Amino acid sequence: MKKISFSKALFALMLILLLALAACSGGSDDEGSDDSGSDDTGTEEGTDEGSDEGAEDEGGDEEPAEEDDGLYSVEDFAPSKTNEGEAIEGGTLNFGLVSSSAFEGTLNWNFYAGAPDAEILAWFDESLLGNDEKYRYNNDGAATYEISDDNRTYTFTIKDNVNWHDGEPVTAEDWAYSYEVIGHPEYTGVRYGSDFTNIEGMEAYHNGEADSISGIEIVDEKTLKITFIKATPSLLTGSIWPYAMPKHVFQDIPVAEMQESAAVRENPIGMGPFKVETITPGESVTYVKNEDYWQGEPKLDGVTLKVINPNTVVQALETGEVDMVDSFPTDQYPDNAEMSNVEFLGMTDLYYAYIGFKLGSWDAEAGEVATDDSMKMSDVNLRRAMWYAVDNNAVAENFYNGLRWAADTLIAPSHPEFRDESIEAPTYDPEEAKKILDEAGYEDTDGDGMRENPEGEELVINYAAMEGGDVAEPLANYYMQAWEAVGLNVQLLDGRLQEFNAFYDRVGRTGEDDPAVDIYQGAWGVGFDVDPRGLYGRDAMFNFSRYSSEENDQLLEDGVSEEAFDVEYRQQVYSDWQQLMVDEVPVFPTLYSAVLAPVNNRVQNYSIAVDWNAPHEISVTAEEPVVAE
Amino acid sequence: MWKFIVRRLVITFPQIILLSLLVFLMAEMMPGDALSGLLDPNIDPAAIEEQRIKLGLNDPWHIKYADWVAGLVQGDLGQSFKFKMPVTELIEQRLVNSFWLGVATLIFTYLIAIPLGITSGRYNDTWADQMITGYTYIGFATPLFIFALVVLWIFGFQLQWFPTSGSVEPGMVPGTFEYVLSKIQHLLLPSLSLALITTVNTVQYLRSEIIDTKQKDFIITARAKGASESRVYNRHILRNSLLPIAAFFGFEITGLIGGTVFVEQIFGYPGMGQLFLESVVGRDYSVVTSVVLLFGIASILGALISDIILSLVDPRIRIK
Repeated sequence: MKKISFSKALFALMLILLLALAACSGGSDDEGSDDSGSDDTGTEEGTDEGSDEGAEDEGGDEEPAEEDDGLYSVEDFAPSKTNEGEAIEGGTLNFGLVSSSAFEGTLNWNFYAGAPDAEILAWFDESLLGNDEKYRYNNDGAATYEISDDNRTYTFTIKDNVNWHDGEPVTAEDWAYSYEVIGHPEYTGVRYGSDFTNIEGMEAYHNGEADSISGIEIVDEKTLKITFIKATPSLLTGSIWPYAMPKHVFQDIPVAEMQESAAVRENPIGMGPFKVETITPGESVTYVKNEDYWQGEPKLDGVTLKVINPNTVVQALETGEVDMVDSFPTDQYPDNAEMSNVEFLGMTDLYYAYIGFKLGSWDAEAGEVATDDSMKMSDVNLRRAMWYAVDNNAVAENFYNGLRWAADTLIAPSHPEFRDESIEAPTYDPEEAKKILDEAGYEDTDGDGMRENPEGEELVINYAAMEGGDVAEPLANYYMQAWEAVGLNVQLLDGRLQEFNAFYDRVGRTGEDDPAVDIYQGAWGVGFDVDPRGLYGRDAMFNFSRYSSEENDQLLEDGVSEEAFDVEYRQQVYSDWQQLMVDEVPVFPTLYSAVLAPVNNRVQNYSIAVDWNAPHEISVTAEEPVVAE
Repeated sequence: MWKFIVRRLVITFPQIILLSLLVFLMAEMMPGDALSGLLDPNIDPAAIEEQRIKLGLNDPWHIKYADWVAGLVQGDLGQSFKFKMPVTELIEQRLVNSFWLGVATLIFTYLIAIPLGITSGRYNDTWADQMITGYTYIGFATPLFIFALVVLWIFGFQLQWFPTSGSVEPGMVPGTFEYVLSKIQHLLLPSLSLALITTVNTVQYLRSEIIDTKQKDFIITARAKGASESRVYNRHILRNSLLPIAAFFGFEITGLIGGTVFVEQIFGYPGMGQLFLESVVGRDYSVVTSVVLLFGIASILGALISDIILSLVDPRIRIK
């Protein structure tokens, strides 16, 4: 008896082993095709390899963009929801906050740090200043402003009907209080920076030398005057802190303890269209409408926000568990483009990905970059050749189904006002790349098929790339193959992808750049303000390439000078700067991106456009979300 | 026995210190810190640096460790860098959820294991036994995180029998009957999927133990005395076979901790496991060390409980 049982168990075990083996061999097949891609050289294989990876959607056919083979474009999407049917009275909107971790619950604009908290905040508290589609503050928000002749003094007037959720009016004092808290020596958030030190008297107040901020004047209950040290057009695109803080709630709480207080975590109030009703820490928030909202009573009865795991976003949308989500993984779009119960809204993301070249190090004492002409990547011809060698169009089509597209300048299409379309940046041309390298003296002198540097020494370029998503590895491989195809020996740093924190540590987040990194692949989400000083300025820690030049300094300064209030002048400055970056190639942009937002069919009057500020207008056409099919 | 318990606790003390030191050191060695995720051109790096100094993130590890231990002795686990609140408060919020998840899982584990184990042990090598052992082998072979995802997809999204994320329906008022009901409803799917996988060990143990016991001499004696078959099984065999199960109980708790890390992540259930994972990813050291310490204490207590239970149910075992 025992024996039979044993043999049966053995059989079962064998079956499982067989399954496991089958699964393993499936995996190694994939690896096989990867390897074969990297073995042959030539210019074709890079793109072929790419289409292998994207084969799921494209069936591996070789037709480029013309054929309808699963390619999309950001132009196919509208930023605003089309309205169908009749809206019902009231209703509750279900909002999904996509996050693999619980939200932090720091529910105050002055203290929040994580993006999830910002999403929660946006429903119940809002900026006093509205902005137009060019990201400039306008007078459509809860407050209006006037600028003095010297552009340094701003007078803000809060509209009369703007009240906090507890019925108290939002006053100039509340707004000034925000500045006092952020500038306070014991402030525990991360907002205090150059935007604040640019206010007259702020540094004295921050250092404890003054009891008040001399540049901030409360004229009357609803009028606030702020004087800045340096007038710059950036003030209007986000350098003025537009959030007020209810002083009557916070005044008795010491600044150091505000962050953990109940007024921030448990029962926060704001001035937005919805009031916080309940908070289940880390997982959900419910809101009810604020009938006293300054733009009018919201049409919805309330909003329910809950955290959705990134793995289950699609299912949550299909089953109508949520009407919309704060961020949708664009790489899941091709598989779900036909989802019947949602409409995908889309627009250009404030984003670009780029390849950066290490041109120096960070001088911590001077607090500025120390560009070094003797670095491996110091030759601009080498950098330009590397730009010519990669086919970003193919990357965009094969890895991202056209939802990302090849980039040319460092000002993304999200800022059309300052982006100069006429600049001719290098595009894929391996022959040109080889020519540049030949002329610059990078030649293969020892016959191993790889170019040596002009001194005849072996040239191995260490490439730092970040892990993350399915695309990261094939993408890094593609770039390396493309460079190999023009004779450059580029190797992954440590032979593997870097984890996020390790990557930025080595690239130089703390100023301690790892000299082993020669080039790196990064991406920036850019702010409303077009000013690139924070990323490319001489004193910018985030200027990871450590590039600097007199001309660059000058252009960046001109871009935020007083003359730059003249838009045409500023456009010219930034056009020159984009050209300079194309000429000097301290980094080269690789891809721009689209942002997609699926919204349930029952939702009306919703938009992801930057100048949209009518959350009170959102309505629904049915009590329950529409379910797929 | 009290002597034994005290002695065990005294022995575990250095273990916990060593554990905390190891965890602290490893956490320190991870690249990045709690503020390094804030790589945002809109935030001034100088402001971040200032916070780093204020929070003491730039201090050498031994000073940080000493600070942490000093706080610990006073019952203060420090401040979470990420959540900006006291770690004790944070853990309190999460521990409740994890505790109920653990209780529900244990209940399900034994609810499944005991009948299955008895059936397959009593009627070994029958059709039912084959089915049950088949299930246990599949259970052994299935990774929990895949199983949980499949369960979530089928029962959560396809059939929509259970809620798919969170620990409670948004907007419920704590203390009401609906709140408790909603809590239980949110517990069912994660605890069931965890129990279905972890229970297979217990089923196997019970099965082999019963098969073993039923060939013992005292069982033959019992039968010879004319005891009914059900009496033989319920009184004589089962009681003796449950011994190793009781001994296993402590390890069950340890296993649960590992399991909850996956399950809580997949079901978006805010408990200790999820807290552990997100604080590792977010480099929230004070939370990581506190959570690991709690996990360590839980495992050690689990082992202790096992010993105590064993001494209670088996008079042959005497703890000295």
